[in-house]
Amino acid sequence: MSVASVPFSFSRLSLIAGNTFLEAVRQKLFNFLLLLAVGLVASAQFFREFNFGSSELKFIADFGFGALIFFGSALTIATTAQLFFSEIENRTALTLLAKPLWRAEFVFGKFLGVFAVIGVFCALTIGLMMALLWHREGQLMEMRPEDFANGRLIAYGDLLVVGVLQWLKFGVLTAIVLLIASFSNTNLFTVVTGFFVLVICHLQYLARDAWGNVDNPLVGLVVRALGFIFPNFQLFNLADQVGQGAGVSPVVALQVAGYAVAYIAVIGGLAVYSFRNREI
Amino acid sequence: MRFNPAALRPFRTGAVVTLGLFAAGVALRPLEAPAWESIRAGQPALRLESLKDALGQGVTVGLLGGFRAIVADLFWIRTNTIWEDNDLPGTQTSIKLVTAIDPRPHYFWLNGSRMIAYDMPNWRIDKAGGYDAVPEAVKRRFDEEQSAVAIRYLENALEYHPEDPILVLEIANVHLNRLKDHETAAALYLKASQHPEAPFYAARIHAELLRKLGRNAEAYAFLKKLHPTLPTEDLGAQADVVLGRIRELEEELHVPAAERFQPRPAASPAAVAP
Amino acid sequence: MSQPVSAISIQGLTKDFSVTLRGVKLRAVDALNLEVAEGQVYGLLGPNGSGKSTTIKIILGLLDATVGDVRVFGVPAHRVEARRNVGYLPEAPYFYRYLSGRELVKFYARVCGVSGTTLKARVDEVIDWVGLSGAADRRVGTYSKGMLQRIGLAQALVHDPKLIVLDEPTAGVDPVGSAEMCELIRKLKQQGKTVLITSHLLAQIEDVCDRVAILDRGKLIVEGSVLELVGQRDRQALIVDPLSEVDLVALRAWLEARGHHLNAVEQPRARLDQLFLSKVSRPGRPGGASAGVGSNEVPLDAKP
Repeated sequence: MSVASVPFSFSRLSLIAGNTFLEAVRQKLFNFLLLLAVGLVASAQFFREFNFGSSELKFIADFGFGALIFFGSALTIATTAQLFFSEIENRTALTLLAKPLWRAEFVFGKFLGVFAVIGVFCALTIGLMMALLWHREGQLMEMRPEDFANGRLIAYGDLLVVGVLQWLKFGVLTAIVLLIASFSNTNLFTVVTGFFVLVICHLQYLARDAWGNVDNPLVGLVVRALGFIFPNFQLFNLADQVGQGAGVSPVVALQVAGYAVAYIAVIGGLAVYSFRNREI
Repeated sequence: MRFNPAALRPFRTGAVVTLGLFAAGVALRPLEAPAWESIRAGQPALRLESLKDALGQGVTVGLLGGFRAIVADLFWIRTNTIWEDNDLPGTQTSIKLVTAIDPRPHYFWLNGSRMIAYDMPNWRIDKAGGYDAVPEAVKRRFDEEQSAVAIRYLENALEYHPEDPILVLEIANVHLNRLKDHETAAALYLKASQHPEAPFYAARIHAELLRKLGRNAEAYAFLKKLHPTLPTEDLGAQADVVLGRIRELEEELHVPAAERFQPRPAASPAAVAP
Repeated sequence: MSQPVSAISIQGLTKDFSVTLRGVKLRAVDALNLEVAEGQVYGLLGPNGSGKSTTIKIILGLLDATVGDVRVFGVPAHRVEARRNVGYLPEAPYFYRYLSGRELVKFYARVCGVSGTTLKARVDEVIDWVGLSGAADRRVGTYSKGMLQRIGLAQALVHDPKLIVLDEPTAGVDPVGSAEMCELIRKLKQQGKTVLITSHLLAQIEDVCDRVAILDRGKLIVEGSVLELVGQRDRQALIVDPLSEVDLVALRAWLEARGHHLNAVEQPRARLDQLFLSKVSRPGRPGGASAGVGSNEVPLDAKP
């Protein structure tokens, strides 16, 4: 019997994304972590206690990016796992997937919802940090004009670029957590594994450096393979450079952004594949 | 009827996911490699052996994971609190720890060396009984010992920032201000001034030190060579001050009027002043 | 002339779950054959672990069959197209607590492709139909279990499906809510919908189902119409005013003279759930002591 097929629908995907976003921003966890991040950025006032001079701006930028990276990672992992498993545990996934809805629409809808939430988090944290830096830099320019002979020290455009790249990194992390959740049975397993993978992705460059020094060829091969299997999150670590006044090359920024987008597509696709094979 | 070997499904899924990730890693390497090379160049290697014991495993992983800047900041804040207690060994260890964590910011090197060279001799004098009680020779020894530590520390900084004029100037300052060694200081100011990013004052101080050493002819020759290179539009270059010193040296050296330095007409409005 | 397509057709369905890595399997459904005709209310009965929910999930494409063929209106169940005409209410659903009932139903309607001018009308209609108009703008998080079941039914019906699958729709719901759910199922039948319902509350199923299948350890034990399965065609019950001993003896003699035998004389009893429903008030239905059960039934049904 021939039946009209149900095509992949961006409208349904955006519905899932919108609902996921709404659910996430109404969660206490999001508000709590956002408050912590904002608190950490705002605590830059504390640096005035020390006479750091124009270097105070470096401290503000470092703490701002530290808050963004640390709380952003925690928020990404916890929110993705929580929003995925709440659908399973509340059986809303059953009601949704029992409708004419592709699993790919469900997974990418979840992804986009979380990605939007993280985007709001990044925008608020970076926005507050930039506002603080601008304000404090203005004050320091009056107090110590000799340090600012060539104008403002902070490249605000670069801060924004680094913020966007961090957001894309969290996008890759979201896709990774969705991939883990697609086969995992519990929220806890997903969160713990997500953190492990986050650490591995941050440290995989060490494995890449080390594989040539490993004596056992088999172990060397495994170490080398690890360098290919996990994305390199150190690639997104441009915040230190910007905090110290070094600029971000547009070519490098585009390469890193392309790397992130490609990984989001690949890992998201694998999450869909894995979720299609999941029996819920 | 179709048959699905259900037991094999998780293994098949796992294999496909692993292979997919591996293939993505291989395919994306050409995109990643140039960016990684560029970013890596801005991240000096961590000398873990010197940090592991001081920091513990957790912080070390944090450093490796990309939190170097913020960890260094936190340890710098801690250094300041130790410094407020005039704790010499504690401050000195903490200063070195900060730059071992993140050797990139100049701020840590400069301020760390100043604590060592300028503050610590005073702490030692206080501890030895105060300025009135401690003999001059002992004070001098404290200055020399702390200056030596500061200079070694700054020379370590130069390993991370080779030829950096700000760091060379800082070493010169220690020689000049703490050790009163004008000869070495003059050589270092000259070395710093030769760097394209050196501040203009490095060359002026070099010339002044030559004068203090009685090497006026050398100073005169240096300044005559320097003046044409100074941009008139940049107030920091102080071309008029340099010209003024040239004139002073011409007086001191009795340079005949015909042989006196003639700045280029467009070089500086100040050049017309006597 | 082609044969009419069944709403659900299950042929030789077996479902195994891998329990250990060494390949030990748990057989949840074993060689099941079922046909559910369009327009029927079909009960899938069985104790916990009998394979009811697994069967439903395979029908909905949430699980794949290990062996066998499952079709919904002729379309293989694993295809997304098969779910176009299916509404599903899972057991004890929670839904999105932060949405209002109306927002929730609207969300599911849009997922099902209901849009434009029909969206609002359809959402209002279905909310009214399940009797939640008064609470439609309250957050789902504040709903009672019975209300959750009704809003769950609303989301299952919002795209006007031909087949509605209800997994334990009365589990954890009080008798009032259960009776209301049964009433709604009857209304669905009147509208010509096919309803597949699982339950282990047999009395309720008996009241609403046309046909039932009983599963045990994944196997089909009994299948047939309710009347065929529980009706005793060779017996009749007479309910009369109390008889004296003399009248009873006379009646027995009268029956035996005509070749009949009086098998039992018992005190008739009301069913406890119906007694409960006749005594308690029902939300939103003033004086509701008599409301709830089908209009063709007397409130206190006497059974010998």
